[in-house]
Amino acid sequence: MDHAMRFAEPDSIEEVLSLLAADPEARCLAGGATLVAMMNAGLTAPSLLVSLRKLPGLASIDPQADGAVRVGAMARHATVAAHDGFAGAQAILAAAARRIGHPAIRTMGTIGGSISHADPSADYPTAITAADAVVEIAGPEGARAVPADEFFVDWLETALAPGEIVTGVVVPPDATDAAVHYEKFTRADGDFATVAAAACVALAEDGAVAALRVAAGGVAPTPIRRREAEAALIGRPLTEDGLAALGAALADLSDPIDDMRGSADYRRRLLPRIVGRAVRRAAAAFTARSGARSGTGPQAGGVA
Amino acid sequence: MSADGDAPTSVGLSSPRIDGAEKAGGKAKYADDLSAPDMLYGAIATSPIPAGRILGYDLSEARAVPGVVAVLTAEDLPQRRVGSFVKDETTLARGRVRYVGEPVAAVAAETREAAELAAQLVLVDYEETPAVCSLDEALAADAPRVHPEQADYARQGDAAAEGNVFWSAEIVEGDPDAAWAECDVVVEEVYETPAQYHAYMEPCSALVEPDLGGRFTVRSAAQSIFYLQGRISEELDLPMARIRCVAPRIGGGFGGKNGVNVQPIAVALARVAERPVKITLSRSQDIEMLRSRHPARIRMKTGAKADGTLVAREAELWFDAGAYVDESPAVMSFGLLCSRGPYRCPNVRVRGHAVYTNKLKAGSFRGFGNPQATFASESQLDALARRLGLDGLALRRRNAMAPGDHWLGGQRVDACAMRECLDALEARMAAEVPALPPPEEGWARGVGVSGLSHISGLMGTSAAVNLRSDGTVALSTGVVDIGQGSDTVLPQICAEALRLPPEAVAYAAQDTDSSPYNWKTAASRITYTAGRAVMQATVEMRQRILEHAAELLECGVGDLELAPGGAVRIAGSDRSVSFREVAARAFNRIGGPIMGQHAFAFDGPRFDPKRAAMSNFAFDNLGVYVFGAVGLVADVDRETGKIVVQKVWSAHDIGRAVNPQSAEGQVQGAVVQGLGYALLEELIWEDGRLANPSFMDYKIPDGLDAPAAITPILVEDAPEETGPFGAKGVGEAGIVGVAPALANAVADAVGVRLTRIPMTSERVLDAIEGRASEAPASRTA
Ligand SMILES: Cc1cc2nc3c(=O)[nH]c(=O)nc-3n(C[C@H](O)[C@H](O)[C@H](O)COP(=O)(O)OP(=O)(O)OC[C@H]3O[C@@H](n4cnc5c(N)ncnc54)[C@H](O)[C@@H]3O)c2cc1C
Repeated sequence: MDHAMRFAEPDSIEEVLSLLAADPEARCLAGGATLVAMMNAGLTAPSLLVSLRKLPGLASIDPQADGAVRVGAMARHATVAAHDGFAGAQAILAAAARRIGHPAIRTMGTIGGSISHADPSADYPTAITAADAVVEIAGPEGARAVPADEFFVDWLETALAPGEIVTGVVVPPDATDAAVHYEKFTRADGDFATVAAAACVALAEDGAVAALRVAAGGVAPTPIRRREAEAALIGRPLTEDGLAALGAALADLSDPIDDMRGSADYRRRLLPRIVGRAVRRAAAAFTARSGARSGTGPQAGGVA
Repeated sequence: MSADGDAPTSVGLSSPRIDGAEKAGGKAKYADDLSAPDMLYGAIATSPIPAGRILGYDLSEARAVPGVVAVLTAEDLPQRRVGSFVKDETTLARGRVRYVGEPVAAVAAETREAAELAAQLVLVDYEETPAVCSLDEALAADAPRVHPEQADYARQGDAAAEGNVFWSAEIVEGDPDAAWAECDVVVEEVYETPAQYHAYMEPCSALVEPDLGGRFTVRSAAQSIFYLQGRISEELDLPMARIRCVAPRIGGGFGGKNGVNVQPIAVALARVAERPVKITLSRSQDIEMLRSRHPARIRMKTGAKADGTLVAREAELWFDAGAYVDESPAVMSFGLLCSRGPYRCPNVRVRGHAVYTNKLKAGSFRGFGNPQATFASESQLDALARRLGLDGLALRRRNAMAPGDHWLGGQRVDACAMRECLDALEARMAAEVPALPPPEEGWARGVGVSGLSHISGLMGTSAAVNLRSDGTVALSTGVVDIGQGSDTVLPQICAEALRLPPEAVAYAAQDTDSSPYNWKTAASRITYTAGRAVMQATVEMRQRILEHAAELLECGVGDLELAPGGAVRIAGSDRSVSFREVAARAFNRIGGPIMGQHAFAFDGPRFDPKRAAMSNFAFDNLGVYVFGAVGLVADVDRETGKIVVQKVWSAHDIGRAVNPQSAEGQVQGAVVQGLGYALLEELIWEDGRLANPSFMDYKIPDGLDAPAAITPILVEDAPEETGPFGAKGVGEAGIVGVAPALANAVADAVGVRLTRIPMTSERVLDAIEGRASEAPASRTA
């Protein structure tokens, strides 16, 4: 029985890809917060760890010409949480990053590692789904880009083909300049979400909903969204009935499990309530922000 | 008394913890930080099934792992069963396994990795047998027996063992059967409490070094070096003379390191390998292999007059003890003793049963059976107050014990500040509750209180002290500081008795080769019992110092007094000699230092058979009682069931705070641990296997979960006459009333009473919405 594990720390993507291609038991190592914990628990035993630490340009957060922001796969949670170059709905990434685990985890974990692991209770998958972000992938067949919606396939399963890695996440510009709120319900500080919701909301001058994107996590094998239910709330003031309809639409799509954080039944009940809070708080943030900017701003921020 | 008044030099001062900087700076050395030349690593193979017979072993694959030096099973160890109350345990499982996680084989190897791999490759041929994984299963009429051999075990007392119930006990006072007729109101309820994990920061670890003379030096995480020495001796059939136990820094215990853990296995490996062996458990192994707080079910009934005067209390307690007896008879008996609480109530019948199940064993844990009993008792008092339309604090004050009253079982209580604690709590809360910012929208606020009480005492201890040639003092006890602060507080007591500052007393590290005996760091006993021994030893030495000084000053001993800072003088004069001069004289005259020593076992009031009928009680003589009251403000989110505790006040009848800051730290830590118990913490078994043996799944409150303010109130109105400077213990009391205070606050906030803890958000929401809960809980197929 050979239990020796090898370690490589290449400085080019090409080398990473060829190492991964050569050994199906190889895994790439980002922050290690999840992978090393799983190795310690005996849940996985890779033959080779390929560290992404030395790859150039993978840890930075870069504005793009069109207003998009590209977050490198190796950007740490703490870096994203503190980044002030996000505009509008893009800021949901920072809001979610601030709620990940504890400070030690936030200085260790990376966005690439988090979304590649694809735990539906994790925070980034929900956030990038709400932000309509696109995942940049490099692989033996070349580079490709996959929208967040299609990236998360199932419980701990992504669109990554064997040998492919995530190189970054591109968050599109937000013309509506939405305000965001990430609502995370946990048993205790630092825990994964029992249920979470990411909301991006913009309001018109008259208080009607101008833009709305909402994703929920912890309630299905992947983050979930109901675009048609979001659309149904546009152009009207935000009401409890409207929020309830959105919550119900998401609940229809949900497929929660029983685990130590709570029963499926509890998650189903929490889902619309957490979604409601996320949207109301994002709307209130929008109102507060435009009030602060113009001194007046739309009337309705809360619920009519 | 003297020219410089009675200003204390040491006791009552918040001297910094002696080990504080070292621990905060990451420099403290715990067992796993130690190593020895040529050291091997040990690993333990454990049972994967909750119940079964061991038919055979195949150790060939384990032995073939490169670097493996020794592989042991029960067949390689002395054929002995051990245990304090019932001799039902073996070092490694022999013949049968009785819980998932039970040690079955042990490996020593050159590297940790090789040891762990070999432990996984130990092949055991099991024949699975039916398991009982809950109280209900264990108590069923035709339940499989966890210990079919039970009748053959050596045991203390007969204790009415039946089926999986291995110990039942009862206390009766007055005439409970007749008393119900006198009651204006009666409440009855069943309460359930969880298995809580000790969650000390340091998982259990031991380093064992054999020497050529056949002795073993054991450095390990343990709450007593002497208990450990005796237990290793018994398990491995080694004379105590060949076992030396030494205490490194210990990263918390809370009762979980009260018994042995990995030490006997490490000694057994070092013995065959003839090399040092270190075993350190992973967090998950520590959770799965060692001990928890007893899960309990308590049926309780209380009757009172319309004015709130308690008339009768009946309770039946079932404590789920897991696979081995360990300290369960004591824990369950103590739970019984606390089932009346710190109140007068003339008619009582409490019965308790400790029950085997195929689970992790349950053992001592901060509170020792009392948090379970008090959750029931104080929840019930609140329900009673509500039924009678009385204020909760007023009902408790009406019934509170006072000096001269008797504890359940008949022990007279001389020092008791229960009423003062209730008053102090009420005053602080009256001033501070209204000042809190209001709850968030959608949240309901509740206020809850609970009385509390505990013991401080038990068993023997001793101390030795001597005066060094420079006039400083060397103090020695066998007390292990597991983080509670005895390394700081015991020298403070010694220093005060000599009117020295604390830094003039050097405190020796604990080592069975040289330290005077101490039973355990347990039972909130150290400040009170070891403090008494330290005090008496110091007083004895002080007397000799005075005798030498009298000769030097050519006066009578009666003319002398101590001056602060290490001197003796003729009272009312400026003629004095320093301790240094006295010490120098002693070294010349008697050839060595002036010494004092004292050994002590609690000798206060006992149970009184004329007042109470007690059967199969696991204790004889206990200690002094401590009292208190806790109150808190909690907000409940009606939409999610989440509870946020805003502020906690915890008043304690401490006698005298030797080191107030240290005492406050004990109270605050206990409150947070109590909130974990009340809100979050529960070991969950699914089909006999732990479903949450890691901090990923088993959550304890961290700094951000703890309330913004926990205010300890140290009540010094009732000094304990027998305690050092009036002190008694406070280590455990802080946890006792937290869960019922919180349940009472939830009832106040949302009008529903939870009778089961932890009160997870899901359970609270289910209670608010009136539905049967599907919240995570132990279950069997
Ligand atoms: C105590 C604790 C608490 C936590 N709490 C939270 C929380 O509250 N919310 C939350 O969202 N997360 C939480 N996490 C997870 C944390 O955010 C992890 O950092 C994250 O999930 C994984 O990131 P990583 O960089 O450490 O990845 P690693 O552990 O290095 O890798 C994880 C997996 O992804 C693969 N991988 C890594 N990078 C790439 C890449 N670029 N392309 C393809 N595959 C890749 C690895 O091969 C591995 O399979 C917690 C973790 C811990 C240990």
